[in-house]
Amino acid sequence: MRRALRDLWRICRSDKAALAGGLVVVLYLLVAVLGPYLASPGGLQSPANANLGPSLQHPLGTDPLGHDVFASIVVGTRPVMLVGVLAAGITVFIGVAVGLLSGYLGGLVDAALMRVVDIFLTIPGLPLIIVIAAIVHTTSPVVLAVVLSVTAWAGLARAVRSQALSLREAEFVEAARVQGLPLGQIIVRQLLPNVGPYVAIHFLLDVTGAIYAEVGLFLLGVAPITGTNWGEMINSAMSEGALYSSSSVVYLLSPMAAIVVLQVAFVFFARALDTLFNPRLRSQ
Amino acid sequence: MVAYVARRLAGAAAVVYLVVTISFFMVRLMPGNAVSALEASLRSQGGMTPQEIQQQVSEIYGVMPHSPVWRQYLSYIGNVARGDLGRSVLNPSESVAHIILGALPWTIFLVGTALMISFVLGTALGAAMAMFRTSRLCQLVSFIASVASAVPNYLVAIVLLYELADMHRFFPVSGAYSVNVRPGWSLAFIGSVLYHGVLPISAYVVTSFGGWALAMKGSSVSCLEAEYVRVAKAWGLSDWRVTRSYVGRNSMLPMVTMLALSLGFMVGGSVFVETYFSYPGIGYYLIQAVNSRDYSVMMGCFMLITVAVVLANLFVDLFYPLVDPRIARPRGGRASVPGALPVPGKGAQGPGSLVGVEA
Repeated sequence: MRRALRDLWRICRSDKAALAGGLVVVLYLLVAVLGPYLASPGGLQSPANANLGPSLQHPLGTDPLGHDVFASIVVGTRPVMLVGVLAAGITVFIGVAVGLLSGYLGGLVDAALMRVVDIFLTIPGLPLIIVIAAIVHTTSPVVLAVVLSVTAWAGLARAVRSQALSLREAEFVEAARVQGLPLGQIIVRQLLPNVGPYVAIHFLLDVTGAIYAEVGLFLLGVAPITGTNWGEMINSAMSEGALYSSSSVVYLLSPMAAIVVLQVAFVFFARALDTLFNPRLRSQ
Repeated sequence: MVAYVARRLAGAAAVVYLVVTISFFMVRLMPGNAVSALEASLRSQGGMTPQEIQQQVSEIYGVMPHSPVWRQYLSYIGNVARGDLGRSVLNPSESVAHIILGALPWTIFLVGTALMISFVLGTALGAAMAMFRTSRLCQLVSFIASVASAVPNYLVAIVLLYELADMHRFFPVSGAYSVNVRPGWSLAFIGSVLYHGVLPISAYVVTSFGGWALAMKGSSVSCLEAEYVRVAKAWGLSDWRVTRSYVGRNSMLPMVTMLALSLGFMVGGSVFVETYFSYPGIGYYLIQAVNSRDYSVMMGCFMLITVAVVLANLFVDLFYPLVDPRIARPRGGRASVPGALPVPGKGAQGPGSLVGVEA
């Protein structure tokens, strides 16, 4: 573990983009945890404060209701990150469980599970998510996370399965089997650690996928609005006619910038992890 | 070969069947489901006998609300198989099939064109990056490609809409063609369609060419370093021959696999792109239906999108043996992207990773 961290630091030092990505991810996590204690967008609507330009008091100006835009972004970080991380967690859990079981057991179980995976790989995810979200109409972050991971797990399951297929023949797994370890222990103790690095990278990219879909749902007004978040900010900026006036363009562009910076940071950080776990790449 | 085709056909049929079943359960059996909601609203409007209400509901959703569930299920499947998707809730005189079939060609046009452009652009760029992978320019292009592929397509759509349609009026804000031209095979109409398509297609291409470029780079680099390429060079084969037959063909295999996977993602993205550009495709109607609680149109859009993606996948599958004859042999599997990270729908990011080798 210590060595892995040291390696990570070494890679980040040589790859500035990865370092920046990692720092930004950490910063967003901090803001997600502390956000509501740090800033408040102002609860009351005040026409006198509406649509102000950027100033010292309001670094990104105010929205048409007189709320501070910067504070809204800070407060809106938590719901976005929470659902993103939850959804990625669920995706990874299902994907790894199905993949390991399928690859390790093989035979009929494998064939059946892979048919299911094939089906979920083919169904276009976003339309299904939108339809389910429209019917379920949930305000709970957990349910929303489940909806967001409805098809995402299939790709991971496929990849983990092919790993498990080759691990099954490995000698240490053979040894565990001969010792008569129960199935659960072989999977958790022997197989899981070996797919760990791949899963970690997949987790990061799943967070970006979930945030993409989640913000999209709020953006389109499909998910019911439960408070400040970036998608809802863009949605209301659009419906306030931000496209047609230059006065509220900061209000429209700042949540968009927040999303783009986060997505790019996740991808670059994932690349650093990739290099860390994949020594073949380091020599290149 | 016959077994391969049969297997793919059966797979496609299974997905379609499953999606129809999901639709039935969502419309009929979810708590607070659409059918009982419609019944309640018709009842509260008054002026209708219970028989008339039932009649109306069954015309819209294609199921009789109070018959046994299995019978409703069978009649639903029968209706869908005959192409009868019921009627619009908001406008019961219009059939769902009519609405969405009119929208489908626009989505196919947008997604098809965008996919072709970003595929050609991305793979060419990726191959070039692999050739000159040590140069500064390659690192810069690689950086730009990673950033572009990480940006959500709806944000690009909003920025394009703001900068090029609203502020500067270079391009139209909405619609698939100008109201001044009559649809038909005239030059004016085709020109208008292309003109209206520029921004939506750009929104797709900007966000998806990067994924193709990075995946192609990873795939070509691993081919360039393969033993058989070194052997081919040692034989003294011409550079052109090595590039085309040994590197090119092999590094394109995973790209064809990605083509199938990215289709679903591109069609999904049409929900955003078409909504923002008010482009009358299937994604636009899906969101309109969701926002106006028109569940029969919504499920129709969803089913049609899925069937379109399944058919496109099937097409890629049937086309694949031409590119790689090994696949149609028994125990063949599609090539996987060697050493690339699969991002949900976005194709591959970043060159190389530990997994991705199909056992």
